[in-house]
This record gives sequence, structure tokens and C-alpha cells, in this order.
Amino acid sequence: MRTSEITKRPVVTMAGEDVAQVKDIIYAAGGGSVGGFTLAGRGLFAGPLKEGLAWSSVSALGADAVMIRDEFVLQPTKAILEASRASGGSGANVLGSQVLSDAGLDLGVVRDVIVSVDQATGGHCDVVGYEIEASEALGTQGEKVLIPLPDTIAASGEHLMVPASAKEFVGRDLAGFGAAVDAFRAQLGGAS
Amino acid sequence: MEWWGWVIVALVVIVLVVVAALAVQARRRRGGVIIDGGSSRRRGSGGRR
Repeated sequence: MRTSEITKRPVVTMAGEDVAQVKDIIYAAGGGSVGGFTLAGRGLFAGPLKEGLAWSSVSALGADAVMIRDEFVLQPTKAILEASRASGGSGANVLGSQVLSDAGLDLGVVRDVIVSVDQATGGHCDVVGYEIEASEALGTQGEKVLIPLPDTIAASGEHLMVPASAKEFVGRDLAGFGAAVDAFRAQLGGAS
Repeated sequence: MEWWGWVIVALVVIVLVVVAALAVQARRRRGGVIIDGGSSRRRGSGGRR
């Protein structure tokens, strides 16, 4: 799913209490896994909250809400950011960042991030690709395409690096993107 | 200016302030995707060719 579908999704306790909404999605480049979310209040004039939600505290990520056991699972946002930052981070927003191949080619600008929740590994949530506004290099300038990512991600927040072979696995819709990600990672694994 | 002129000016100012406040709050609440990693340590599958 796209992370744009997750932001602004309400965070609801099992008691049915609407405690917050998702603001940012935090992920660690070192392993590409989602560490958690920063939160904002639900009212019209509510701003960002000081508490965040670690992925490990999420009971379920549904189409209409993020479910948690109760409001006590929320943690200070700093703690969640520091846990993800352990792999060496910048804390920058990747939306709007430039994607470069390791051959030095500008592939486009990130407009969205694609994540996958793997039920087989206990609901682990990984970043598997970017939706980019393609550059001329992809032959589809201005068009939004999906580009898969390897297991580990090189990024600074200003530039996001992907292997040059990712160009061969670019897709246009989410329906077949999972297979493209698997094929891309299998190719990388076989080549290394 | 007549007294009703000042009332209209005051109402316009109030509306502008409210719109500005809503715009600032919307910007503060706008989310994104924060990356917390600047290195590319290889974990297992996946890697450069």
C-alpha cells in the first residue's frame, strides 16, 4: 500500500476511542522496515502530538484505521525516532527527494512510498518501493511509476540511491508490483 | 467611514485570521515519510551488482 493512504488514518483503541491520527511514517534505511508513526491530534485546530506509535505497538493496520490496544502504548516521539536512527539517520522527509541510480542517473522525484505488511513474519512492515515522478532517463518523463527497492536502502533524505537494475522492474500499478519487488530482490541476491 | 464599515472590516480581518490559523494548522499536521538511516549496511538478500 501507499504511505499516502496511511497518513491521516485515525488511530483507534480496542475500546473504540479515537486518540490520534497518523502524521508521518518513520522508517529505517538500514533495514527498510517501518519503525513507527508520528501522530497529530484529531480536532480541526489540533497540532502534532508529542507521543508517537511504534510499529511493534500496532495491533492492526486496517483500511480505515490503525488499531492499538490502548492509549498507553503511545511513546514519546523522540524514543521512536532514536530507535530507528540507531542505523544512522537524517530524520529527513523523503517525499520530494531525488532518486539516483548507482550509475549516477537521475530517475525521478519521490511522490509516495510503497510499504508491504508481511503476515508471514508476524506482520513486519517493510518499505518495498517508491512511487516517483519519472525523469527523462526512464523514458516516461512526468509519469508516475513504481520503482522497487532492495532489502537495504541507501539514502540521505536529499538523494535516495537505488541499484541501476531497478529500472528493469519499474511498474505502473500496485497490482503486479509485489511480484516485481520479489523478482528484483531475487536478481540482486543471485548476482551478489 | 460609517460604523457598519468598521464592522465589515473587523469581520473580514477575523475571517482572514481564522483562515490563516487553519492553514498553519493544516501545514503542521501534514505528514510525510521520515527516513532514519543514511548508510546502506547489507543485511542478507539484496545488494549491489
